[in-house]
Formats: sequence, C-alpha cells, structure tokens
Amino acid sequence: MNVAANRSHPGDIAPGAGVDAAASAAPYPMLVIDAEGRVTRHNAAASAVLPDLRSGTAAAGAVPPWLAEPVDGAEVRGRIGERLFAAHPTALEDGSTAWWLVDDTEYRLAVDELAVERERAQFLIEASNALLSTLNPERCMEVAARLAAKHLADAAVVVAPAIGRRLPMTLCARGGPVERRAIAVDPERVPGLEEALRGFPPVPSRWIDPGSAPEWLMPKGFGGVGSVAITPLPGHGVPAGALVLLRTSNHAGFSESEEEFAALFAARVGAAMSAARLYAEQASITDVLMRELLPPRLRQIEGVELASGYRPAGDSARVGGDFYDIHLTEGAGTATRALVALGDVCGKGLEAAVITGKIRNTLHALLPMADDHHRMLSMLNRALVTSDHTRFATLVLASIARIGPHVCLQLTSAGHPAPLIVRRDGGVEEAQTSGSLVGVLPEVQSATAHTTLAPGETCLLFTDGIPEAKGGPMGDELFGVARLKRALGECAGMPAEAVVERVQMLAAQWVGEGKHDDMALIAITAPRGTHLTAVDGTTAGRYTA
Amino acid sequence: MTHPDLGPLHLLTSAPAPGTVHITVVGDLEYDTVEDLLLEVSDALAHHPGLRHLHLNLAELGMCDSMGLSALLQTRRFTGGVGARLHLDHRPPALDRLLDLTGTLDHLLALPSAADRTPGGRTDALDVPD
Repeated sequence: MNVAANRSHPGDIAPGAGVDAAASAAPYPMLVIDAEGRVTRHNAAASAVLPDLRSGTAAAGAVPPWLAEPVDGAEVRGRIGERLFAAHPTALEDGSTAWWLVDDTEYRLAVDELAVERERAQFLIEASNALLSTLNPERCMEVAARLAAKHLADAAVVVAPAIGRRLPMTLCARGGPVERRAIAVDPERVPGLEEALRGFPPVPSRWIDPGSAPEWLMPKGFGGVGSVAITPLPGHGVPAGALVLLRTSNHAGFSESEEEFAALFAARVGAAMSAARLYAEQASITDVLMRELLPPRLRQIEGVELASGYRPAGDSARVGGDFYDIHLTEGAGTATRALVALGDVCGKGLEAAVITGKIRNTLHALLPMADDHHRMLSMLNRALVTSDHTRFATLVLASIARIGPHVCLQLTSAGHPAPLIVRRDGGVEEAQTSGSLVGVLPEVQSATAHTTLAPGETCLLFTDGIPEAKGGPMGDELFGVARLKRALGECAGMPAEAVVERVQMLAAQWVGEGKHDDMALIAITAPRGTHLTAVDGTTAGRYTA
Repeated sequence: MTHPDLGPLHLLTSAPAPGTVHITVVGDLEYDTVEDLLLEVSDALAHHPGLRHLHLNLAELGMCDSMGLSALLQTRRFTGGVGARLHLDHRPPALDRLLDLTGTLDHLLALPSAADRTPGGRTDALDVPD
C-alpha cells in the first residue's frame, strides 16, 4: 500500500501497480473513506475539487456532509461549491468505501431547463386558452394581468393604447384582486412604456430604473419595486398595448430568458386583445346600425290596431335581413292613413343592413305616392339596382285607410309571401297579390289586392322566416303556410297583439332549440269598437264602432 | 340536402358541344356556397369565349335560399353580359315556387338582349319616372 508515501504528497497516489495507477490517473475524482471516517486515499482529480483533502485525516470538514454519510451502496448527489456531483460508492474489502465523483452539473442544468421550458410551454397553452375564451377586451386584459402576476412577476399591469388622454390599464398583484384604471397620464414619464405602446421592441429591464415606476403603475398596496420589465403587446397591424411586469425588491430581477418568455406571452396577449378589440368594434357598429334599423313601435292609428313582432336569427349578432316600417300618410291628400312595409333583404350583415337602410329611406321619400304601390315599387327598384351585386329584397306594402268601422287595405307583394287575412268566422285567405322582387330586375311587375277588414278581422304580414321555420317533432319539417293558416284560423276575433304573440309562440315552439332565420310579422286588425258593457267580451253585438 | 354525405355543394362542368356548357349543381345553394357557383360560372365563361348556352342542371339541387336566388340572378347577369342564354334544367318544385313567388323565372330564362350588355341592367336608370 502506498498510503504512507502519500502523507508527504497529499495530492497524489503514487504510481504503482495496476488498480492504484489507474485510480491515480483517472479523470474522475476518487477518494476512499475508511470505516472510521478517515480519508485513506484520493487522487489528483479529487484534490482539484476538494482542496482540503488530506489522506489519513478525518473526512468531515474536507468533504461535503452529504458525502461523509455512508449509504448502503446507493449513489448520492449534492453540491460542491457551484457544481453538482453524483458520488458512486464502491465497498472495499477492508470496510472502507471508494467514492467516485461524477460532475453532472451540465446535465442537471439541462434537465432543470427542460422542466422550466415544459412548464412554460404548458403555461403558454393555458394562457392562450384562457385569453381566447373571451372576446371582451376588458375581460381579456384581466385574464392577461392575472396570469402574468401569477406566473411571470409579483405584479403585472396590462396597459391598453390611450383612449383620448386616458390610459386604460388593468393591474393585478400576485394573489390579489384585479384593478382597473383609466387615468390621464403621460406614458412618456415611464421609460420604455411609450416605446412599448408604439410597438417598439422591449427595452432590457436592467436599463429601467425601478425607482422611475410611478405610483399609478402599481396595484394598490404594492410597495418597493425592485425591477420592472416592459414588453409591447403586438396586435394585428397596430400595437395592442404594453405589458408591465413588476418585482419587489426581495426578488431577483428579470433574467434575459425571463424577458424572452415574457415576450412570448405578450405575443399571445396582444393577439387575443386585438381580436377582442376588433370584435368589440364590430359589435358596436352592429349596435349602432341595429338601433338605426330597429323597427318602430307600432300603435293604434285611428283605432286600427297594429302589432308587430320581431325575432332575429339566433345564430349570431349580425344584423338580420328583416325589416318593417310604418308611416303615417296624413296630409298627403289621399284616403290612405298609413303605409306599412315589411320585407326581407337577402343575406345578412353590413351589406344587408345598408340595403335595408336604403329601402326604408327611399320608401319614406316616396310616401306622397303611397296609394300607387306599383309606382312606389318601380321607383324603389330603380333606386336599388346596381351593377355591383344582385342582392335583392322582397317586401309587402299595405296601405291602410279606415272607413267607418271597416278598414280598407291595399296589399302588394313584391316577391314576398302574400299576407293572410283572418275573417271573423275563422276563415283564412291569402291576399291575391303577387309581384317581382326589387333590386335586381330592370323592371318590376306587381298586382295589388284590395280588401276590407270587418271589425275584429286581421291581416297578417310576415317574412318567410315563419313558414320556413324548421323544426316540429322530427326537427326538420317546415312550419309551412298551411300550418300558419290553421293557427291563424284559431285567432279569429283576437286583438292584433294577441295574434302576433300566438304566431310567434307557435313558431318558437316549432323551432325549439334549433336554428332559425329572422322572423318578423305585423298584424293589422280592424277595431271592434268600444266595449259597451263589461259582461261578455266575445259577443259581437256588445261592440260598437 | 339531397346528398348530405357529399357536403354542401358540388359542381360538375362539361362542354358537350361547342358554345354550350353544362354545370350540374348537387347540394344546397345558400349563404356559404353561392360563391362556389359564381366562381364556376365565371370560369366557364372565361374558358368558352363564344358561349351561347349555359345550362344549370338542377335536378339534384337541395335547398335554395335568398342568397341562392341572388346567385342565380348574378349568373343571369354574367350570361346576359356575354350574350349567352341561361337554362335552368330539371328545376325542383321548391325552386319553381321560389322563382314564381319572386317573379324572377321569366327574367332568368329570357333571351339575352342588348340591355343585358350593360351590367346591372342600368340602361333605364336615368329615365324619367313614369
């Protein structure tokens, strides 16, 4: 044994026979600790790692504690200085243990890094899901702030592009509530914020003085900013805002890889926010248009009852294609007191909305000729025909004049389902009118029907959403005009309001949960006169005109 | 409707004789599919410069909603613009009812006229109202 010789040269195992020579030259640190806990041997590589090793002295103090503890043949791991080692023990015959140390710092770092990357990838997927689950811009900012505060920093602030002079922002400290602010501040006062809001690449956080973070950029009660990172939120073409990450002074600053990761997160937030904003803008345009296109409230005109119902297609928030309007035509020097127009523009959305608006305005302008439906429709057709498209409208016009207890109607269909007339005896007639649609053909044709409603009789105008409502017991049957007629037969003598409600209810029941088109309907009912007594409302003789 | 397993709309174009193109329409003509028909028709017009007759074989047409009708009217504009005649062959009863209700059948099947050369039929747009 060369143990004695090694006392004078602790760094070496003297070259000798076989195994010892190999151990001495081995690139891995090797040391032998005997049963009493003394170092009996070690090689040069071991000395390089553990400079305090002295063979023949106690291992404690010279080797880290995790290595000094004997273990039953299993490898142990631990840190020596900055590096990580695995120590593989081999029991020797004399009861001592030879330890081979393997530096696996790089491997452990790679494993740790992989775990971090996996966690980040997972987080990004979850973030995308959470962000894309809402199309509400404010909700989207809340989700982003909450996620960022939980995973990326101690607090996060999502700043949206300024609205006027105000900067809308959503703030959240880790585990705290989400706050919303919109304050008139100058983003230029915060280094990096103005740039991020303009979409410039982020300024490295170490360049940002944490002391420059103003009070308004911190969630309530968040004290002592230690570091700040500001990342732009890239939107579709225009910046969608900025993400501000804050850490308290107790925590380390943002590393380069953390900032890169924040940028990946920000890209998702930006995409979600700009999608939400686009959608919100679209929805508000639709709202404005809808308000403009909303049918008027119907009422009585000289005792003629008018009731209307409108049920937009349930499948989207798009502007529907159905419309109706009622105009008083008094003063036009005719017997006609009111003109009702109800129709359906083909297609949906903005294009349909624009055509609807055009039709309503044109009809309004043509009111002086309200008695001549064909002329009205011809001029409307000319106003609508364009070389740009073949979108058309079908509509029905109803001119209403009251003569004594009766209501005289002029009805003209322009490519539209003919109105149905409910007589007092429960008979239901289709108005004998037909005509071509408007908006495409060079000339329109039309045939007007004239009819009179006796007291209590009703004329129903409707769009094809009602007869074409799909549903029923099998779910795929059309409601159909025949069924509509039968339903109306049961509405004989009912007030206009009740007829509309009845038909709407039946159509809604027919459709059930299924999809349906817009459904619009108007009932025009001749007045049944004043109730003379309160005895029996169903007796005809009890009414006067 | 007719072929739910085939998807919404299938088009098959053939040119059985010079100056004649047949397009077989299988499926629904509605909001989401009309663009396909219009593309097919414009292609046919572009590839057959001397087209005299465009036949749409509608035997297997499923649903045709107002956008479908709009597409047929647009097709009529296309054919009128090149002086070709539109034929709507084997029309299902539901389509006939729609064309009848909307008063469009005569227009769709009318011989192409000089007025059709002005797209949009705007020739009379500046006339004094009658």
